[in-house]
Amino acid sequence: MEVKIEARSLTKNFGTFRAVDALSFDVKAGEVFGLLGPNGAGKTTTLRMLSGLLTPSGGEAFIAGHSMEKQQQQARSSLGFLTGDMDLYRRLNPVELLTYFGQLYEVPKATLSARVDKLVDAFGITDFKDRFCEKLSTGQKQRVSIARTLVHDPAVVILDEPTTGLDIMASEFILQFIKKMAQEEGKTVIFSTHHLDEVERLCDRIAIIHQGKLEHYGTISEVKQRTQKENLADAFFQLVN
Amino acid sequence: MRTKIISAIFRKEIKEVLRDKRMLYLIILLPFFLYPVLFTLIGKVGQSQQEKLSTQSIEVLVSPELKGTAVEEALAQSSELKLNFTDFEEATIDTMSNGIGIKLDVPFDQTMQNNGTASIQILADQSKDLLQFRSRQIRTVLQGVNQNLLKARIDGAGLNPEFAKPLNITQVDLASDQEQAGKALASFLPMIILLFIFVGCIYIAIDITAGEKERKTLQTIFTAPIKVSEIIAGKFAAVFTVGIVSAFMNILSLMVAIMIQVKFMGGEVGSFSISIDPMGWFWLCLIIFLITVFLAALTLAVVLLANSYKEAQSYVSPLMMLIIIPAVMSQMPGMELNTSTALIPMLNISLAIGAILKGGFSTAMIAMVAGMALLYAVIALFFASQTFGNENVVTGEKIDFKSLFSFRKS
Repeated sequence: MEVKIEARSLTKNFGTFRAVDALSFDVKAGEVFGLLGPNGAGKTTTLRMLSGLLTPSGGEAFIAGHSMEKQQQQARSSLGFLTGDMDLYRRLNPVELLTYFGQLYEVPKATLSARVDKLVDAFGITDFKDRFCEKLSTGQKQRVSIARTLVHDPAVVILDEPTTGLDIMASEFILQFIKKMAQEEGKTVIFSTHHLDEVERLCDRIAIIHQGKLEHYGTISEVKQRTQKENLADAFFQLVN
Repeated sequence: MRTKIISAIFRKEIKEVLRDKRMLYLIILLPFFLYPVLFTLIGKVGQSQQEKLSTQSIEVLVSPELKGTAVEEALAQSSELKLNFTDFEEATIDTMSNGIGIKLDVPFDQTMQNNGTASIQILADQSKDLLQFRSRQIRTVLQGVNQNLLKARIDGAGLNPEFAKPLNITQVDLASDQEQAGKALASFLPMIILLFIFVGCIYIAIDITAGEKERKTLQTIFTAPIKVSEIIAGKFAAVFTVGIVSAFMNILSLMVAIMIQVKFMGGEVGSFSISIDPMGWFWLCLIIFLITVFLAALTLAVVLLANSYKEAQSYVSPLMMLIIIPAVMSQMPGMELNTSTALIPMLNISLAIGAILKGGFSTAMIAMVAGMALLYAVIALFFASQTFGNENVVTGEKIDFKSLFSFRKS
């Protein structure tokens, strides 16, 4: 299968502190890939480098075959990125926000409106599509945020802790959508989370990082086998302790 | 750079500004109410204060030698001056809360009979408005007495009144009404223009940079396939537009308020018009345009360094000083536009706007100022691009200031 995300010896230093240390992995088309690690492990920094928000101190990231450093425009065009550090414009409503990002991603005018309507429908945004984003609940905001990452129909989606702060209903909606994106639309998804049950339900393969280094890279059954543990949580604790 | 992308960013920023009631109120609506109300209020308060002063009476200690003289007769005409003929020392006046002293150094009648000069001192604490007002009134009354006594002496000597007036000096002001209005406006309008462009720029600049960082919306745009230069251009266009509109609204409102005030004080509104030729308007508009470019780029670059609204506001005060101090300096006596002052940022703009308003400006000097303003604008835009292109600035990490001044591909 075609490799859609590739990290080659990705390294990031903040002054003398090495946040990410030579991480290498790849994610194939249609895969849901979990990036796991305790707080401060370097997950968000890794995802930020993959998205082009941070420039690696060493190594290189590729999105849909495009180098994030040398072909940034093409790489970013193929990518939808969402992190917990991102919020919505307060005084735009969801339709205006999706249209705005559609324009930024140069979605053709003729198809943009239909694309926005489709996302509004798919994410159950219709009831609050005319409300300013500042008036939306956390769950509603997260639906709009994910719709925003998909407005240009990217081949690759990176979601950094997309269910954090959401209630069980909203979380379930997001997880089902991620599954659907990969299975039905063939999108490649990397997502990071602290909820290991979500990982077990969704991910084909995972990477566990600790103190910036890759501790495990493979399937969930491989990590259980390696650690001789029955469940992912126990395996995770063994690797990071 | 793609104009479609820049236009999308610009329209989004302006849409958000127009939906922000607080910003609309501060930039557009407030000036329309602020100046007319402020000017009317100041006029009314000033008038009532003047009326109050003119009715308040004070005690005047007068040397006894002046009793029964023309001086007493003239002073007694004013009922607010309570005359008390007594010997007194300067220290006595100091201890009085509302008192003035009129002290004579020689016998009055005898000096007058000998055609001598009697020195009269008016002792008053000039730091108090009422005493300053009354001491001026007393001085005017005494000058009238002096004129009468002089006339009597000249008549007594059988001389022509022109004997005591070898020169009759009059001052003829050749300035037209427009030139006088231009001079008056040049004393404050340059500073007002600079301040309001700055204030207009700063609100939106904070909102779309540090404000967006605080609200966690800034990073989103940086993950889109957009060049940093396109982001800057879109945001810069929004700040520039609001800066210009804010300055225009404020100046328009200020002019309306001045006209109301001129009318209120019984003046002719038509006399308060300025005469700027087409070239003057061209240079004025060009300089305002360039300085708005400079201030928009500068404010964007500086406030983007902040991670919150509050932090950004703390960066604004020093910037404000950098504008106010040169603008105030431009009003100092003898300060004029020359090859040295034309190089100093803000001072040159203030002097150039003042020169255009007054009329009779040197085109070469104004062109030099425009050139300097363009240079500063380019430097500010470069600094803005450095700031926007710095990932630590955008992600809110610790900033390496050295990197802001090094050339980098953006």
